Amino acid sequence: MMTCEEYREAVAANPLYEGGDSHASQCPACQAFQTDMQALDSKIARALAISVPELKMPELADVDSSIVSVLRTRRLTTPAWLAVAATVAIAAVLGFRMLGNDLSYPSLADEIVAHLEHEPYALRVTDKSVSDSRLARVIPADLATMDHSIGLITYAQSCVINGKEVPHLVIQGERGPVTILLMPGEKVDSRQSFSGQSINGVILPVGDSSIAIIGEDGENLKRIENNVKNSVTWST
Amino acid sequence: MPLVPFSSAEVIKIRSGGSSRMNSSNAELDRRRRFDSIVSVYHQDMYRFAAWLSRDKAIAEDVVQEALLRAWKSLDALRDEAAAKQWLLTIVRRENARYFERRRLETVDVDNLTPSQEALLAEAPDEQLDDLREAIYRLDDDYREPLVLQVLMGYSTNEIAELMGLKQGAILTRLHRARLKLKESVQSEDALY
Repeated sequence: MMTCEEYREAVAANPLYEGGDSHASQCPACQAFQTDMQALDSKIARALAISVPELKMPELADVDSSIVSVLRTRRLTTPAWLAVAATVAIAAVLGFRMLGNDLSYPSLADEIVAHLEHEPYALRVTDKSVSDSRLARVIPADLATMDHSIGLITYAQSCVINGKEVPHLVIQGERGPVTILLMPGEKVDSRQSFSGQSINGVILPVGDSSIAIIGEDGENLKRIENNVKNSVTWST
Repeated sequence: MPLVPFSSAEVIKIRSGGSSRMNSSNAELDRRRRFDSIVSVYHQDMYRFAAWLSRDKAIAEDVVQEALLRAWKSLDALRDEAAAKQWLLTIVRRENARYFERRRLETVDVDNLTPSQEALLAEAPDEQLDDLREAIYRLDDDYREPLVLQVLMGYSTNEIAELMGLKQGAILTRLHRARLKLKESVQSEDALY
C-alpha cells in the first residue's frame, strides 16, 4: 500500500491520478489533498487560458521547386515500391530481368517505380517546358510523334527499362508531376493498375508496345490516359 | 478562430498565370488549404504555449509567426494529421529557444516587466487568478513548461517527456514541485488578507 507521501507525490504530479485506491479510501487527509489539487488545477487552467490575438498569417512564400523535389523524393521511398509489389494487379512479367546488369524485378511495375526513385529530380513542380528540340531527341520520329495536347512537358529523358531505351516524360498534373514512359516493344496483355504509398499508376497496352503513367494519389489518371493516347502516334 | 485564408486577389493572381501554370498552382492551393486547416485548429494552442514559454505576449506573437513560416516550409514532413498539434508545439518550442538564443534574453526580470510582459499578467479581473497567474509566471521554466503542457494542452506525462526530451520520472517530479510551489504561493497570498 502506498504511503501518504507517495500518494501525494503522485497526485501533485497529476491531480487526476486514479491509482492507490486502497490508500485513498482509508486516508481522508489524502482524499482532501487530491480534492484541493484538482481545485487548484482548475484555477491554473483558467489562469493559463489567456486571450489570443487574431491570427495574422505571415507571408507564405511559394515553396521552392527544389524543396518540393526533395520532398516528393522522400515520398517515393523504399516502402512505396515494396508496396507496389503487393498491389500490382497483374504481375504479367514475372521473373523480369533487366538486361545489362544483374538487377531483377518481380514485375514491370516494380522496375518502373524503382526507376522513378533513381530519377527523383524529374519530379519537379515547375511551369518550364522542355524545348521542342529536346523532345525530338528523346522521342525520335522513327519511334513516335507527339503533339502538345498531352499537356505541359517539364522533363524529357531517354531511359532504359527492361533493357530497352524508352522516352521518360513528366507532365504537370492536378496533384503534382505525372510520369509517362513510352515503352516501344514492351507488350502487355491487358491494362495493369498498381498503387504504392502516395502514388498510383497504370500500364496501358498499345499494340506491341505500352505506356506507363504514374501520378500522385488522387491524380485523375483516366483523363491523362486519354490525352496521352490522343497525342501519341506510334511510328512502328 | 477566424483564419486569414487566401484572398481572392491571391487566387486570381495564381490562376491568371495561364493554363500551363494552373496545374502546379493547384498543388500549391491544396497545400495551402491543408496548412490553413491545421493552423486554424491549433493557433490558440501555439500562441498560449509561446506566451507561457516566453512570458511575453509580443515575443509570443513573433515566435508564432516564425513557427508558422517554418511549419509551412516543412508541411510535407507532417504525414499524420493526428500528430499536427505536437508537431506545431515542437516547432514553437524550438523557435522560442532560437529567439532567446538570438536575443540573449536568458532571463526575465520579474520585478521590472516590460508592457508586453505585464500584459500577460493583466488578463483576469479575478484577484485570485491574478495572484495565481503571477505565481505561474514566476515559476522556473523547467516547472512552468510541463505544467502548461499538462494542464492547458492536455498532454500525458509520457507525451510531455517525449516533447521535452526527458524521462517521465523527471517530468513527474517537476509537475509535483510546480504544483506544490503554486499551492504554497496561493496560500501565502491568502494569508495576507
